[in-house]
Amino acid sequence: MLWVLRMLGAAVLSVSTGAAACAAGSLEAPVKATYLYKLVPFVEWPAATFASPTQPVVLCLLGGDPFGAVLDQAVRGQKIGARAIVVHRLARAEKAAGCHVLYLPAPRAPAAAEALQSAHGAPVLTVTDQADGAGGIVNFVLRDNRVRFTINSRAAAENGLTISSKLLNLALDSRAGR
Amino acid sequence: MALLGKLQIRWSLIPAIAACGAMLLVLSGLAIGVYDEQTYRAQKVREATAQGEILAATVTAALAFDDRPAAQEYVEALRVNSQVVSAGIYNQDGALVADYARDRGGHADPTVALHPPAFVGRHLLVVTPVAEAGQRLGLVAVRIDTDPIARRLSRYVGLGLLLFMALLVVGVLAAAHAVLTRTNNDLADANRNLQDEMHERERAESALRQSQRMEAMGQLTGGVAHDFNNILMIASSGLDLMERTDKPERRKLLIDGMRQAVERGASLTRQLLAFSRRTSLRPEVIDLAAQLEGMRLLLDRSLGEDISVALDLPPGLWRVKVDPSEFELAVLNLAVNARDAMPGGGAITIGGENRPIGSDAALPGDHVALRITDTGSGMTPEILSRVFEPFFTTKAVGKGTGLGLSQVYGFSRASGGDVRIESEVGLGSTIFLLLPRTEEALPLATPELSPVTRPPGAQGDVLLVEDDEGVATLVSGMLTELGYNVTRVDCAAGALAALEANPAFDIVFSDLVMPGEMDGIALAREIGRLWPSLPVLLTTGFSPGVAAAAEEGLTLLTKPYGIGALAAALDGARPG
Ligand SMILES: Nc1ncnc2c1ncn2[C@@H]1O[C@H](COP(=O)(O)OP(=O)(O)OP(=O)(O)O)[C@@H](O)[C@H]1O
Ligand SMILES: [Mg+2]
Repeated sequence: MLWVLRMLGAAVLSVSTGAAACAAGSLEAPVKATYLYKLVPFVEWPAATFASPTQPVVLCLLGGDPFGAVLDQAVRGQKIGARAIVVHRLARAEKAAGCHVLYLPAPRAPAAAEALQSAHGAPVLTVTDQADGAGGIVNFVLRDNRVRFTINSRAAAENGLTISSKLLNLALDSRAGR
Repeated sequence: MALLGKLQIRWSLIPAIAACGAMLLVLSGLAIGVYDEQTYRAQKVREATAQGEILAATVTAALAFDDRPAAQEYVEALRVNSQVVSAGIYNQDGALVADYARDRGGHADPTVALHPPAFVGRHLLVVTPVAEAGQRLGLVAVRIDTDPIARRLSRYVGLGLLLFMALLVVGVLAAAHAVLTRTNNDLADANRNLQDEMHERERAESALRQSQRMEAMGQLTGGVAHDFNNILMIASSGLDLMERTDKPERRKLLIDGMRQAVERGASLTRQLLAFSRRTSLRPEVIDLAAQLEGMRLLLDRSLGEDISVALDLPPGLWRVKVDPSEFELAVLNLAVNARDAMPGGGAITIGGENRPIGSDAALPGDHVALRITDTGSGMTPEILSRVFEPFFTTKAVGKGTGLGLSQVYGFSRASGGDVRIESEVGLGSTIFLLLPRTEEALPLATPELSPVTRPPGAQGDVLLVEDDEGVATLVSGMLTELGYNVTRVDCAAGALAALEANPAFDIVFSDLVMPGEMDGIALAREIGRLWPSLPVLLTTGFSPGVAAAAEEGLTLLTKPYGIGALAAALDGARPG
């Protein structure tokens, strides 16, 4: 049964890879949408980042929105400790100042590149779909028709973020040898 | 006794204590078992919960990012814990993401719900929620093995064994106690029975001895009657002859003959009285030769015509201190046995010799060996070995009681001596009666005072109380001869009346046994009350009266008596 589902999912994904990355109907987008907020519990921000324990975690999208309502639905009601998650869709890089998680669907776009640049050294978890070193701290990758990720722990350290080893263990680069 | 009672109570408490102890042991054993089982389960729950929590903590990311291979890897890591039977990782929708089963082909539970640790059959199922920073991600379920019941029980084998041993000990103790109590009671019963039997036997023995005496008495009676007739014959014919002669020499001869006859009669009655005494007397120093000489008549009468008894006693035999009547009975028993061994008649020889210290190992000092020899049947060694047993007899029923030699043995041992038997079948037997020598002197025999004839009435007035006409006449004659004025009455009441009329008597001489309400003792008592200064002398031929009179402190003259003894007794009874 599981196997059939997996085959089914694989078929759908293979179809969607060739098409535009923004195809909202495919399975890839909702998976990434949930992964975005699911990253949060495994990341520790510098103590000064949050003013209070209840201050929400701000999840920003810059340079496009592949998720649409799917993301909003996914984070609705979700709590990380006492924090809620709010989604901000940004038009320009300058607005990224209050973001805790910054998702850049197209990091090579000029605005995204600028935002990545300005996020360097700031307590922001940058997430991209680019695993070639030009991406953010967490980069989604499609592997075996499943959404996986790599983690740039050096970049994370430069941003003052501590990434849980549990998450690191799942990262593709950390398990490359296996 | 009180201590014994307390001990008895404590003793009887032992079964209850043992039962309580056993119960306590069982209860404490059970308690320890239950407590052990509980700690075991609690420990298992702790182990399983820890295992579940570790797994839940490690799989958070794998669940969050749906990384099934990673989840599988984590869950497979449980392999190192052999207690884990199966484990499953479930996502937030309750679907199984990864699972592990220890046994090939096994699977984790397809679905689980969150619940507290539960024992399912042999397994313990622990379901732990998976969460990261408060975000619920799914569940993990771990099923771990508990020790099989046999293994768990084997842990209690030691305890059980100990308990069993303790119970066994308690049981054995209780049983032993019961047996002991029973044996104790049995022993007490047996002892009681034995004591009863002993008393019974003692009674029977004394009854038999008494009946044996009575039997001998019966044998004697014929002889005694014959003897008495002879004595009376001598006396009456002597009196007849005296009436017809005036020659003093002739009369003297007749009087001597009559006196001898009377003395023989007296000795015969003394023998009979001694023989019929029920209670044994105290030992007295006796001269064996004289004692046996005194028994001659008794023996002759007891043994019959065709048995002759020869006394062969050397002069100067040592004195012995024995109970004379028991001694006579022993000799009589030996003589009767000898007679019975010689049904066709024969001779019995009674001999004796002094045996100085050392001649017999069993006797510590000088002793006299008396021997009674017969020429009868003799005894086989089998019989010889049993003759001293009470009731052992070879004689026909009604002929022998088997107590004769028992009495001989008992008497000799009680006297500090012993008995020996030498016997040969067909030739005869000799029984030795060994009696220890005594250094004590013979009691002094009261010398018979020669009567002194006094002028009539010189001695004073005597009131004679005597119911028998013949005796009264004779005694009156003797009293007159002694110089008394005699007034005779025939009963106690008469005596009191006579004293009322004339209290000026010098002495009252009364028979002890009399018809009427008062006997001699009562009369003496009454006289002592009314005329305290008037002396009373009693006389009797009946032995029980002697003791009674002695108890009252009264002077008594034993019948028969001669005129000398009468004079002495009267003088002794009067004051001054
Ligand atoms: N002088 C003896 N010659 C042979 N046998 C004897 C002689 N004295 C005793 N016995 C044997 O010893 C037995 C026991 O003797 P014992 O005097 O104790 O009892 P008994 O004569 O049988 O009965 P009783 O009580 O009447 O004397 C006799 O039955 C007899 O067999
Ligand atoms: Mg006998």
